[in-house]
Amino acid sequence: MLKYAMGRLAVAIPTFIAVLLITFTLTVVSPFDPVAMMMSQFEGTLDTLAREEVIERIRDQYGLNDSYGVQFTRWVQRLLQGDLGISINGQRDVLRMIVKTFPISFQLGLAGAVVTTLMGIPLGCIAALRQNTWLDYTIVGGALTFRTVPVFVLAPLLLVLFVLVLGIMKVPRGWDGLLQTKVILPVFILALGPLPVVVRQTRAAVLEVFSMDYVRTAKMKGLEMWRIIIRHILRNALIPVVTTLGFIAEGLIVGSIFLDSIFAIPGFGGVAEGAFRGFDYPVIMGVTMVSAIMIILTNLLVDLIYPFLDPRIKLE
Amino acid sequence: MGESANAAAAKSVSDELNNESGLKPRSLWQDAMGRLLRNRLSIVGLIITMILVIAALFGPYIAPYAYTEQDLLNVAKMPSADHWLGTDEIGRDLFSRVLWGARTATLVAIFTTFISVIIGVLLGALAGYGGALADNIIGRIIDIVMSVPGLLLAALIAVSIKQPIVTWAEAVYDRSGFPLFADITWLDLLVVFGGLAFVSWPGYARLIRGQIFSLREEQYIEAAKAVGVSELKIALRHLLPNAIGPVIVTLTFSFSSAMVLESSLSYLGIGVQPPQASWGNMIASNIGSWSYRPWLVAVPALTLAIVTLGINFLGDGLNDALNPRSKRSI
Repeated sequence: MLKYAMGRLAVAIPTFIAVLLITFTLTVVSPFDPVAMMMSQFEGTLDTLAREEVIERIRDQYGLNDSYGVQFTRWVQRLLQGDLGISINGQRDVLRMIVKTFPISFQLGLAGAVVTTLMGIPLGCIAALRQNTWLDYTIVGGALTFRTVPVFVLAPLLLVLFVLVLGIMKVPRGWDGLLQTKVILPVFILALGPLPVVVRQTRAAVLEVFSMDYVRTAKMKGLEMWRIIIRHILRNALIPVVTTLGFIAEGLIVGSIFLDSIFAIPGFGGVAEGAFRGFDYPVIMGVTMVSAIMIILTNLLVDLIYPFLDPRIKLE
Repeated sequence: MGESANAAAAKSVSDELNNESGLKPRSLWQDAMGRLLRNRLSIVGLIITMILVIAALFGPYIAPYAYTEQDLLNVAKMPSADHWLGTDEIGRDLFSRVLWGARTATLVAIFTTFISVIIGVLLGALAGYGGALADNIIGRIIDIVMSVPGLLLAALIAVSIKQPIVTWAEAVYDRSGFPLFADITWLDLLVVFGGLAFVSWPGYARLIRGQIFSLREEQYIEAAKAVGVSELKIALRHLLPNAIGPVIVTLTFSFSSAMVLESSLSYLGIGVQPPQASWGNMIASNIGSWSYRPWLVAVPALTLAIVTLGINFLGDGLNDALNPRSKRSI
């Protein structure tokens, strides 16, 4: 087991290092020049001759004239100490911004993941059990509908529908904890994104298990259908569904980027959106890395728990 | 003697195969067409896609107004006879801008798909043919690219390469006065192409690699090898035609996801910049006023939703039509 876990880690860590490298390289070619930023504050107070010298001095002081390798290792060292830099807009600590907003998004994301699973598994199950009927086509087609329609399209359309046309809810804005009615619509929209993956995986898994001998035996013994479904089919069919967790995590992260500002939720996604809009480099890097870590960790977790669920996967 | 007999045998076999591939594809395509047109949803998809193509090609000629033309007496008006879908917050005709947006979306989708197919097919083929080492390296690169959410990575790339490219273009213009670089709005598109292509090629590479590995096991490939048909010929004659079905299906799906990604980038203010019309930036600039000017958000949002849905229906229909043996996938 330990060997297997180490093997999985050995895949995850280089991936993460590569993500760091890509992120760092992109900032090297990026338009963001911190020294020019600093200098713009002294505009008009320094004469032009001294200006060049001051810039050079500052670049030396902050090590910006060092080689790429030196800068990269220094940057990674800072990251390991939890220093993600300072945001350009507002001069705030990036790690603080993320730590402050992350719990909110995490709760929303968790709720979204639960809703996705609670909707996706029964739907996929029904679609499989009624394969090639209108019900199957409706579920599969319905899931297809939400596969690519992005959050920033779905959210305003549903808002217009529910608030303006049907008038069944007030404008949901802000965040006062998870147990509020205004959370329903954001969570629902978040959950729709990864839903098709869960439906598809469940449907395929149930179809596969359905033709197994033990299911036929159970049927022959005259067990009731619901008992067969719960005892024999779902138990085995749910295992592959675990692998969709990575997709769910990705869907939730990307979804929250658009969702937060629409619903005025002070979350991680809102930080990301603001950073992109303001070309706020340090924040963009921080947000990308945290997202990548989340997805890599989720996939690692899936890899680690999978052998317990499905002993056929050898621990090698 | 033996060799020439072999060559002759190979030639006659390849002639036969030739002949076969000269006739079969036609019937295959006809078959596929028949299956496609029997599926109602894919007809809907086909119609929507055709409307999109027409809008992209002729939109600027159909559009009653230019995309920047302001009607300052009719600002933020509901749909009317003069402005079929109303006007936006600074008096521009929404219908015209949606048509121009169709051109933007299609342009980005076509170029992105084109670039990523080329990269993906080349690297996928390299992984499939280049031995274990090349396969491992390319596989690892794909894993890395796929471990960051596509949108975030595309946004990061677009943000990073934008300023250097603009600076470079300005320098080129200063030095050469080349008229192409006088107006650099098209560079926004270039930046978007780059970002999107970078995140979408792994899908193709995986697909091609998988196809090469699975088709290589097929008996007709073995048979072709046994009679001495060259690797290149096998690749062009047998692998390519058999792999093209799944590639077309993937193309359709990635066409719609490229459109969605473009709108997402433009929504975030990284992609196509105003006043250029993109459905994404149209949604972004009006999302704050959805409660009192709902049509300004609803029109581009619905357009984007309908178009991506239509293309996906078409892709699904194509999947059933071109890969009839594969199970229906969603």
